Order: sequence, then structure tokens, then C-alpha cells
Amino acid sequence: MAIVEPRTTERAPEPQRHWLVEWLTTTDHKRIGILYLLNSFAFFFVAGVFALLMRTELAEPGRQLVTTNGYNQLFTLHGTLMIFLFILPVLVGFGNYLVPLQIGALDMAFPRINALSFWLLPVGGLTILSGLLAKGGAAAAGWTSYAPVSEQGGAGQDLWIVGLVVVGTASILSGVNFIVTILRLRAPGMTMTRLPVFVWSMLATSLLMVLATPVLTAGLIMLFADRRLGAFFFNPAHGGDVLLWQHVFWFFGHPEVYMLILGAWGVVSEILPVFSGKPLFGYQGVILAFVLITALSFSVWAHHMFVTGQVEYPFFSATTELISIPTGVLFFNWLATLWRGRLRFEPPMLFALGFIALFLIGGVDGVWMASPAMDFAIHDTYWVVAHIHYVLFGGTVFGVMAASYYWFPKITGRLLGRTLGKWHFWLMFCGFNLTFFPMHELGLRGMPRRVADYLPDAGWSFLNQLATAGSFLIAVSLLVFLVNVVLTLRRPPDAPPDPWEGNTLEWATSSPPPVHNFDRLPTVRSNRPVRDAREQEVAR
Amino acid sequence: MAASRVARGGLAALAAGLLAGCAKQGATVQGQQIHDLYVLIIILALPVFAGVEGALLWCVLRYRRRRGDGRPAAQGAGGPRTLGVFFAIPTVLVACLFLFGERTLAEVQRPEPNPAVELRVDSFQWQWTFYYLNEGFFVTGRTLTKEPVVELPVGAPVHVRLESRDVVHEFFVPDFLFMRNALPGRPNEFSFTPTRIGTFRGQCAEFCGLHHDQMRFVLKVVSQADYVAWVDQARKAAQNVDCNPSGPLKLVSKDNSWNTGCLAVAAGSPFSVSVSNLDPSIEHNFAVYPKAGAKQPLFQGPRFAGVAERTFELRPLPKGRYYFQCDVHGPAMSGALVVK
Repeated sequence: MAIVEPRTTERAPEPQRHWLVEWLTTTDHKRIGILYLLNSFAFFFVAGVFALLMRTELAEPGRQLVTTNGYNQLFTLHGTLMIFLFILPVLVGFGNYLVPLQIGALDMAFPRINALSFWLLPVGGLTILSGLLAKGGAAAAGWTSYAPVSEQGGAGQDLWIVGLVVVGTASILSGVNFIVTILRLRAPGMTMTRLPVFVWSMLATSLLMVLATPVLTAGLIMLFADRRLGAFFFNPAHGGDVLLWQHVFWFFGHPEVYMLILGAWGVVSEILPVFSGKPLFGYQGVILAFVLITALSFSVWAHHMFVTGQVEYPFFSATTELISIPTGVLFFNWLATLWRGRLRFEPPMLFALGFIALFLIGGVDGVWMASPAMDFAIHDTYWVVAHIHYVLFGGTVFGVMAASYYWFPKITGRLLGRTLGKWHFWLMFCGFNLTFFPMHELGLRGMPRRVADYLPDAGWSFLNQLATAGSFLIAVSLLVFLVNVVLTLRRPPDAPPDPWEGNTLEWATSSPPPVHNFDRLPTVRSNRPVRDAREQEVAR
Repeated sequence: MAASRVARGGLAALAAGLLAGCAKQGATVQGQQIHDLYVLIIILALPVFAGVEGALLWCVLRYRRRRGDGRPAAQGAGGPRTLGVFFAIPTVLVACLFLFGERTLAEVQRPEPNPAVELRVDSFQWQWTFYYLNEGFFVTGRTLTKEPVVELPVGAPVHVRLESRDVVHEFFVPDFLFMRNALPGRPNEFSFTPTRIGTFRGQCAEFCGLHHDQMRFVLKVVSQADYVAWVDQARKAAQNVDCNPSGPLKLVSKDNSWNTGCLAVAAGSPFSVSVSNLDPSIEHNFAVYPKAGAKQPLFQGPRFAGVAERTFELRPLPKGRYYFQCDVHGPAMSGALVVK
């Protein structure tokens, strides 16, 4: 076994500082990772409460709980916070904690930039939320903020723009940091073809963050210039074009979808092999699929704009359908990984299997929308709401939960409770399907998105009630998760370095790891170095 | 074995039938073609869905690690050939999907060369105006209080030119399985032929600001004879608005509707109109024309954003019926100016 000496330099011991100061000024990727996770779950909570308010309002026709303006703010903030301040940051948070560990590095390449890109997030998020205190309320033009609706509205909309520019800057910075870290700081023997799949997924995510986010920032600046500086980018009366916003937004927005899911694919591709006792089937195929999807994701944006009647249908329909080929390959590889395995149904595995079952639905119902003529019937209906949630909740959030159960012992030194974990899974699985499956049918029956109210005779009431009931079941399941976390944290830390018989380097160090990550690194001869070391141990 | 295969086939067919039953049949020629495409995609997608979920379930049941079974799993990880198969299967499916989709798209997008009804549909926050171009009248509603109800003859091709006066809206009739954006500065055109008599609800489907959820309309598809009668009656109703002079003229705009559709003044003397705009940051103006559809205004006040109030002095007008409107929102904010 090769031994890598920790690179310590002799220095006088620093005086002990208050723990709060330690956390506020930390540049340790593990602590920053934990801050990311805490911050993300806090925004998840807020955005989740907004979702429950919306579902309660929609449970029956008529106004019960919120005003129309209030409802419009709710769905705008729900989408914005979930996408920009929960899903992407939570994946980046796991990446922050795990990428240096998985590649055998001491830290991220730029620890201070790392701290900066974290601290920008709560600043940006609170800026957006502070709109609630503004006259007229927070932004209320949807998370896509189509111009010219987004050119109306008060200070809340400006705060939304400024907040997103700040959050976008955080994305770009952390993207650069990941790319340099992964390309330059790999341990000896950790070639690109031995890189853990999760690291590959974070590399692809980072490329997208660096290439696509600046486009959103440019769009936001144009929107702000229109609103406050007398510009006319999106105003046709003065030679501007309303479609320009949609092109700019979706040129960012579609790669964004893959930023939100690639990390979860990486997580699932790590967990399935560990709990099947097999290597990931077709490692090269999975990486190839990631690369193809990353590249193709820049050529499909106008499929969000089929109903404008102003885009090149055959091109965007063809590229959209093409992207389902590498996605299909991922499913085949995951199934083949399970095939003839020795499956252990620990909570991380349950969530990973749930991910496959649900993300498949999100993939298949997307096929309808990829066909422009079919899209004319369902585009701005609840079908799309069902689709995006099967991808981002059934997909990413189940992946995030799998990651939480899988890496919780590494991060805290304690294994989350198994029984509560299973309750959490089954409640969330049932609640999720109850909430979002009926939305397909609501869409086919013609219920448009983003409506605060509907007519009693529209025939949508019963399905809406099912969805509302399901949303509360999801809330209960998350409460179970919270209880599980709290109970587990009250126990003394007892997790071994490698509780799951893992494959990747994070399992070669203690749980939680020391500040410098590794006392010794196993030699990397394959993409499963920790398994190799375990086998050697047995052989000896 | 054969029996179970038949049973499995029957189950799949039943599931496909159930799913197809969920989708509305189209009430237009074009809508029905979209419905057929929906069913076709089910036929392509259902085996994929059932196959993958089935294989997943099989793995979960069959490959569970048994208690006391310490044997390691076989460590196969596939080669290029398997990967080739994995890429080939979705490629074939996608190729079929693309070809069928393009065929339906061409049918749905084809413009009607000889439409029986030509409509200009005008949209704005948060109302619709339907102009019957050949019949020479329009139908509009009042935001938050009245939705426009228009009629169309069954079996006759309709051509629509769709426009927006402010933000992006969307013309959506679920029973037609069709929606299309109304974009300011970029008119859209499309055709459809209703095939079924009935009342069909329509609604804006692109979020367009505060009262987006209330931006509805109703399309009634009726027989040719009923349609002719309705056109006659709609034309007459447009001529017959009347009211009497009473005090100072005050127009109030709230939620993009005027408080009245009729103003009356005495002939031969100057008069003033006070216009109060209660819609925050939305622009209105006040203009008077000899009749609806006239190009040259007799008076045209400047646009101003709410909340604000302006008073305009107008020169005397000879006896007669005039037409006033807000030029920003057009006929939906219009009325008769009666000079007696």
C-alpha cells in the first residue's frame, strides 16, 4: 500500500477561536459542503411550505387562503428557490464535500473562492425573498419571468433579478473551482477513466454552469436595463423582441435542467453498484452518455418554445429526441448493474431504486412533449408540471435523499436510522405519486399551469384534491426524515470508515474525515480502489 | 406459456386503451390528428415503460441478497457490444417517433386556403377580442366580470390571426388539443375546422400577470343556420347602445375595463371628459372616432400610466353616434359616445 504523507507545514499552533467564527470563516471544503447542505435544506423547507400553501389553495375552486397576487408570488418563489437555491446547491454541496475526497485531494483548488461561492447563495436567496417586504410583494412573473410580464411589477421583480445575478455568480465560481480541482488535483493513479462516476457528473455539471449561467446573467441584465434604465431589448414597440428573452432564458434554461439532474445520476450510479455488490455496468457507456447529454443540452432549448409558433420545428424536435438516446442508455446500464447482483435494501438503495422508477416516468412523459404537434395540446398545462416534478423531484430529490442516507455516516460519523429511513422512503414514494401522477390527467383535461383558481364545473376538482392530499403526505415523509436526522445526531458517533462496503476513496478515511482528509491513501488501480484494498486485505 | 403470453398481451392492450381513454378526442380535424399521435406515442412508449419498470421489479424480487448467502456477485460490467445494443434500441424508437411526429405536424400546421370564417383574435391583460373580419363586428368581454362568448359554424374551416397588445398570452382550447402563443409584435396564424357541435371553453395558458387565471372565453360550435342567426343578432346589438346626458363625464378604468360603455353629451357645446386610470403601471388613453374601425380620430388623448387622473377638453360635436376607446386596449375598452 502506497502512503501519501499529509502535506503539513510547521507552524505555530493557532489560538482556539469561537466555533461560530470557525464556521463563518472556514475554507475547508467539508465544512463548506456542510454549510451548502444546511443552506439548501433551509431553502427546501421554505419553498416546500410555499408549495403546500399553493396545493391547499388549489384543493377546491374559489379563493380560500391567498389572494391572486399572493398565489402568483408563491409559484414564482417556489420555482425560483427550489431550482436555484435547493436543487443545484444541494448537489454542489455534496460535490463540495465529496469530490476532493473521491479524487484523493486535500481540498478544492481555490478554497477561498469556494467559501465566496457559498456565501453568495444565502445573500442572493434572501435578496429574492426580501421582495416579500416590498410594496406590491415579491416577484410574481414565474421562475421563467417571461418578458414583458416581468417588465411590469414593482421592486420585488428587481430584487428577484439582482438575487439571481448573485446566485448565478456563485454557480460560475464554483463551476470553475470544480473543473480545476478535478483536472489538476487527482491523486496518483486516479486517471480520468478511473474517476468515480459522481465526480464525472460534477465535472459535466460544472462545464454547464460555466458555459450556460453567464447567458442567464446577460439576460437578467438586459431585463433590468429595460425595467430601470429605459432600454428596449424586449419591447416590440421600440424595435425590441419579446422572443429574445425566451431564447436567452432557455439557452441557459435547458442546460440548467441537466445541471439539476446530472449530479443525481452520478449519485445513483455510485450507490447501485455498492448495494448490488457489482461494478457499475458499462462505466464507459455512462461517461459517454454524460458527455453526449452535456453537449446536446445546448441544442434543444427551443423545445420550450414550440407553442410560440416561431421556431424551427424539425431541428429542435430532432435534437430533443436525440437526447433521449443517451438517457435511455443510462437506464439500461443501471438495470444491467442490478442484474444478477446481490441486492441489499438499505435506505440509500431504496431511494436509488425509487429514483429509477420515477425518473423513468419523467423521461417517458417527456417523449410526448418532444413531438411539436403533441406539445400543442399539453405544453402549458399541468402535464408539464407533472413532467418537471417527475424529473426534478422523482429524479433529483430522490437522488438527493439517496445521497443523504449514503453519505450521512461519512459527514457526521453516524448512520441514519434504518427503520425511519424505510418509512421516509415509502411515505415519500406514495405521496409523490399521489401528488404528481394525477397532474398528467389534469393536463390532458386542459388545466393550465399557474392559475390561482379554476371553475367548479371544469372537472378538475377531484384530481386537485388527490394532489393536495399527496403533497401533505410528502410533508409528513420529510418530517420523518427530520426526526431521523435529529435522533441520529443525538447519538454518539459510531460509524466505521466504510459502513457500506463502498468503492470510492471517501470510504478509505475515517468518518468524519480529518481536516487534511487522508492519513494514508490506498493505491488507485481501478475505479473501485477501496474495494481493491478490501480484496487485498482478505487475500492476505 | 402461450396462454400467459396472450394474457400479457391483453393486459398491455387494456392499459393502452385506458391511457388513450384519458385523452380527449379532438373537436376539430386538427385536434383529432393530435389525439391520434398521442395514441401512437402510447404504443411506442408503453412497452419501454413496462419493460424497464418490469425489469426493475424483477431485479428487486429475484436478486435480493438472501440471509447467510455470502457468495459475491459475478463481476461482469459489459463490453462495447452490449453498449452498442443499448444505444441501438432507443435510436430505432426515436427515429419512428420523429417521422410520425413530423407527419402530424405538417397536417396541423397546414394553412386553410379558403376559410369560411376569418377571425382576428386580439389579446391583452386580461381579455380577448374576437373580430369577425368578413362579417364586420367584434365580440369582447369585460375583465373579471364577463367572458366573451363567440360562435362558429360546424364543419367550416376557420382561420385565426392571433395578436397581443401587451404581454405574451396563449389561445388554448383544450377540446381542440391546441394552444398557440399571442406574441406582441409577432402575429401568429393558424387554421382549424370544428367537427362537433358543442360549447368549448378556452383560456389563456401563458402566465400573463395578475388576473391570468380569469382570462377565459367560450367558443360555441353551432349549425350553419344558428350561426347565421347569431351573426345577425350580434351585428344589431352593436348598433343599439343608448344613454342620456347627465352631469360631467367621468370614465374610470379598473382592471382594464371602463366603468361604462356609453357616454352622452348635448350637441353644439364643448365638453370635458375626466379619465381616471386605476390600473397600476398600465397605460390607457381616451380617443374618439366617427365609428368603430375608423382610422382618423376626432380626438386622441395622450397615453398615461396608472394610478393617475387626467381631464380632456373636447370641441363641440354635431349630433350623432360616435365611438370611443382606449387605443392601448382597443374595442374591449370601448363604448358609444352619443351626442344628442
